[in-house]
Amino acid sequence: MKTEELREYFQESLCIFNLQARDKKSALEEMVDRISRECRLKDRDIILEMLLNRESLGSTAIGKGVAFPHGRTLAIQELTVLFARSADGVNFDSLDKKPTHLFFLIIAPPQDKENLYLQVLGCVVELIKNASKRRKLMEVTSFPELQAIFDS
Amino acid sequence: MEDQAKLLVALQDLDLLIKEARDSDTSTELKEMGFKLDGVAKLQEARDKLAKRIDPQLLNRYERVARSYDRAIVPVTDNFCLGCFVTLPTSYQSLQNKNQILTCESCGRILYFP
Repeated sequence: MKTEELREYFQESLCIFNLQARDKKSALEEMVDRISRECRLKDRDIILEMLLNRESLGSTAIGKGVAFPHGRTLAIQELTVLFARSADGVNFDSLDKKPTHLFFLIIAPPQDKENLYLQVLGCVVELIKNASKRRKLMEVTSFPELQAIFDS
Repeated sequence: MEDQAKLLVALQDLDLLIKEARDSDTSTELKEMGFKLDGVAKLQEARDKLAKRIDPQLLNRYERVARSYDRAIVPVTDNFCLGCFVTLPTSYQSLQNKNQILTCESCGRILYFP
């Protein structure tokens, strides 16, 4: 998957440019609440529990100020991606012990047979390796700006 | 009493997470991306705790179906069982509102109404 293709998986209503939470659980709650509201999901707690369980497997904050909470749950019907940015940073148990500012939350239903969510996850991880794009993402404040970073 | 249907779905999510962490292809792919997956024992503990909150008969039913299929619980969309794609009786819609745990009469999988 190419980074330009990422834009089709993001939507404005699932972008949080001023995440308020300061710790891992609150940050996941804030992001899951947004998904539940926008996607009209009835089982918000199941999604949250899955993401917390995924974090206990190993933190998804892999350093450089970025985290990728992800996993599969029956409580969602299609691949869903949420972007969040925290200016102050979140204590997300990052592998480099530094605050996390960028979040790419990726969840998919179990019946995602082609492992599309792993493809999207891999593509976002690659994007983040680019220091210039990472810097731009740290300052992004609108959806068009976010899309422009995928296209650049 | 806790919502048994929700607990079952959470259990299946956890089983899937453990399965993926143990699957060599998936875990290799995730590790290559930079993720650490060293907490499988913690997940197993969480699984054991969660299983104790589920009615034993229901848990037994889940585990029996899970032995036959990759996923014991499947979603219902447009009145179709997404396990075997058979149309379900219309009465199921009203029964699920009463928090009953329903099973597909065709394939035997447990049904989840998103």
